[in-house]
Amino acid sequence: MSETIRIKFTRTGPVSYIGHLDLLRYFQKIIAKSGIDIKYSQGFNPHQLVSFAYPLGVSMETLGDYMDMEVESFESTDSIVESLNSVMNEGITVVSASVVPEGEPTAMASVFMADYDVFTDGIFDENEISDYLARKEIFILKESKKGQTESDIRPGIKELKSFDGGLFMRLSSGSSLNVKPASVIETLNSFTGKNVSIDLIRRLEIYKGDENGIKPLGEY
Amino acid sequence: MSNIDLSKRQLALSHKLLMSIDKPARYTGGEPNSVYKTKSDIRLRFCMCFPDIYEIGMSHLGISILYGMMNTYEDVWCERVFSPWTDLDKVLRDNDIPLFALESQDPVRDFDFLGITLQYEMCYTNILQILDLSGIPLRSLEREYDRPLGEYPVVIGGGPCIYNAEPIADFFDIFYIGEGETRYRELFDLYLECKEKGLTRGEFLHKAALIPGMYVPSLYEVSYNDDNTVRAYRPVYDDVPESVRKEVVTELDDVFYQTKPVVPFIRATQDRIVLEVMRGCIRGCRFCQAGQIYKPIRYRSVDKLIEYAEELIKNTGYEEMSLASLSTSDYPDLKELLERLIDLCNRKKINISLPSLRIDAFSLDVMSKVQDVRKTSLTFAPEAGSQRMRNVINKGLTYENIADGASKAFMGGWNKVKFYFMLGLPFETEEDIKAIPQLGNDIAALYYETVPKEKRMGRVQITMSTSFFIPKPFTAFQWAPMNNMQQFIDKAELTKHTMLEQLNKKSLSYHWHEAGTSIVEGVLARGDRRISEAIVYAYKNGCLFDAWSEEYKHHIWMEAFEKYGPGLDYYIFRERDKDEVFPWDVIDCGVSKSYLYREWENARAGKVTANCRDKCAGCGAFVFDCGICPGVGK
Repeated sequence: MSETIRIKFTRTGPVSYIGHLDLLRYFQKIIAKSGIDIKYSQGFNPHQLVSFAYPLGVSMETLGDYMDMEVESFESTDSIVESLNSVMNEGITVVSASVVPEGEPTAMASVFMADYDVFTDGIFDENEISDYLARKEIFILKESKKGQTESDIRPGIKELKSFDGGLFMRLSSGSSLNVKPASVIETLNSFTGKNVSIDLIRRLEIYKGDENGIKPLGEY
Repeated sequence: MSNIDLSKRQLALSHKLLMSIDKPARYTGGEPNSVYKTKSDIRLRFCMCFPDIYEIGMSHLGISILYGMMNTYEDVWCERVFSPWTDLDKVLRDNDIPLFALESQDPVRDFDFLGITLQYEMCYTNILQILDLSGIPLRSLEREYDRPLGEYPVVIGGGPCIYNAEPIADFFDIFYIGEGETRYRELFDLYLECKEKGLTRGEFLHKAALIPGMYVPSLYEVSYNDDNTVRAYRPVYDDVPESVRKEVVTELDDVFYQTKPVVPFIRATQDRIVLEVMRGCIRGCRFCQAGQIYKPIRYRSVDKLIEYAEELIKNTGYEEMSLASLSTSDYPDLKELLERLIDLCNRKKINISLPSLRIDAFSLDVMSKVQDVRKTSLTFAPEAGSQRMRNVINKGLTYENIADGASKAFMGGWNKVKFYFMLGLPFETEEDIKAIPQLGNDIAALYYETVPKEKRMGRVQITMSTSFFIPKPFTAFQWAPMNNMQQFIDKAELTKHTMLEQLNKKSLSYHWHEAGTSIVEGVLARGDRRISEAIVYAYKNGCLFDAWSEEYKHHIWMEAFEKYGPGLDYYIFRERDKDEVFPWDVIDCGVSKSYLYREWENARAGKVTANCRDKCAGCGAFVFDCGICPGVGK
């Protein structure tokens, strides 16, 4: 009987410049090196059964991203963390692992909200932020196959606070409403007439849940 | 070494600049197994360059081996640099940022050595880009020979193109002739000693020229005859050798092999473990330069290879493994090697890919075990369509060999076949060209004869590709004239036209390579020092990444060759005389000119020469006294 293990990892520094698919390939190699008894798909070119919760964009750092992996057997979640970290590279660290209970949706399907620190080269003051949050609707243009469509991101902005050097954001994520930190900065710029640009986005945590309450992806 | 915190590493480019270019991870380093050292522990810094983009350079086994070997030296830190793509090229120029190495992100200009591997002629303008962006003067003689060593990095070249590096000789301080494992430590020790004593760059280069395998082009004066041919190469000092013999590793099992290669984050062209099973080739194909310059053939033992394979699997996490050699089927213990490798790879869930295997019952059996028959296609490289032409080029492959391999494969379930041919070979006739699609047709017919209707998975697909033949130094065809553009295009048209007349034309398809780059490659391959200015002209007028068809600018190259040097007729369109002195005669690759000329005569007569294993042809590589040579006897 195989089990699903959900690992939580961080990524900081120069290694952030690799894209989502390359990070997946990197993790596949790390898993192979670690000796973890990973489960493979069937067929002529078997591949590891692993998947990320939420793609990490090029240059985005994270303190709390998640990956699900199917294993044939394992000793303990601690030993999984240890064996992965023993072969891990600069800037990427596994902080914890948990056994995903039966019936729990995949990490990818669970994503509901995420926290970010967005470091910028300029600031928005308290008034600008409260004016922004007071708006009922905030539209952005989305490029799609059918052309440009408008989308209201205001319901997805759950929290917005400034700190020294940037903004903290809690944003809706996942399939129903997905708000990107860059969209918030972009609309803030257009309402305030400023031209603040992003130096670094750092994801802090990914949550599952619903309108009644949220929990980090690694808690059940 | 391991206590350096790489996540705090400073990058040479700001976040904004990195985000303005394609694939920033090409330039940020820090990949698994990349080597970091503390600068204060280091006495010599070497920057290894493959003058093409990261994905191509990182696929190259040679620099991976040398990177690993040099980093085993405690006092040396070897880092990497690749050609910045055109987007970063612009960013560096606009922002006055010097080209930097991936590991330390320090300017290349600050290194002791810049080593550039020369794998194909069409990278020559990229070399100038590397030097230019690094702030290193393009020509060796502009690098302050009279000043103490250390002002600029020593620019050293290696790889197959150094067997005639004369067109780029002015840009290099040293060419390392032959296999890199043998002499680098000696060269580094000399450099450190000269630097310590405060000797000049000129004095160091003179001393370096006395180390076997080191060709210092600035120490040779070249004179030319009135008909433009080379009169002589003369060393400027008495103690500098008149010709430089290549360096050869005599026992492959005894030298360093890279079992902890850098594993790229982004997908490289060769995204897999590469196991080098042997060097050299026993087959004397008359068009093939690799077959001559890597002689004699030498093997790694099965035990060593299995040991390396195990370490590589453990150290890289790759899911695929491939064997490297010029002709894997000629490996003497192939059956044992493959059995043990397949067993190892099955246990570790690794896929094996097997290029350059001759198609026969054994290889088909192996391939059906490791690959999905439905997806893979068989590859044959007969190089010529007619048997007469295959004898001219000494390709030891008959129609019976091909038909036998193909029919066995068809019965085993394969229905895709790829053929590689060359057009413009010496002594080629119209009949030889027509034989190319006719061969394709015959193999298609064979499919329909061999495989009963109910077992066919659709139509058989036969793909034929032709490239245009380019004569290369140190081959039997180094005397041969090359075809011009119009001849190439006419020949490709004839091939296509003949294909459309075939009975099984619906099963056949045909591609050919662009002719323009072949002309330029031809000139660079057999050129001399007089065209170095043409390369500078091409570079200054926007030629870069010439091996990339979308970047290639044919008219600028043609202008360049018109302005500088004796021209295309001289370099490629004439047949050379038996006794002509070649620019590459200054290099001694072991294989003698008299042997090559015998082979040129044999080609003219359509006479086949036996391979090294069957009978020694007296090529001269016997002087290295290793590999297959001692056993066969002269």
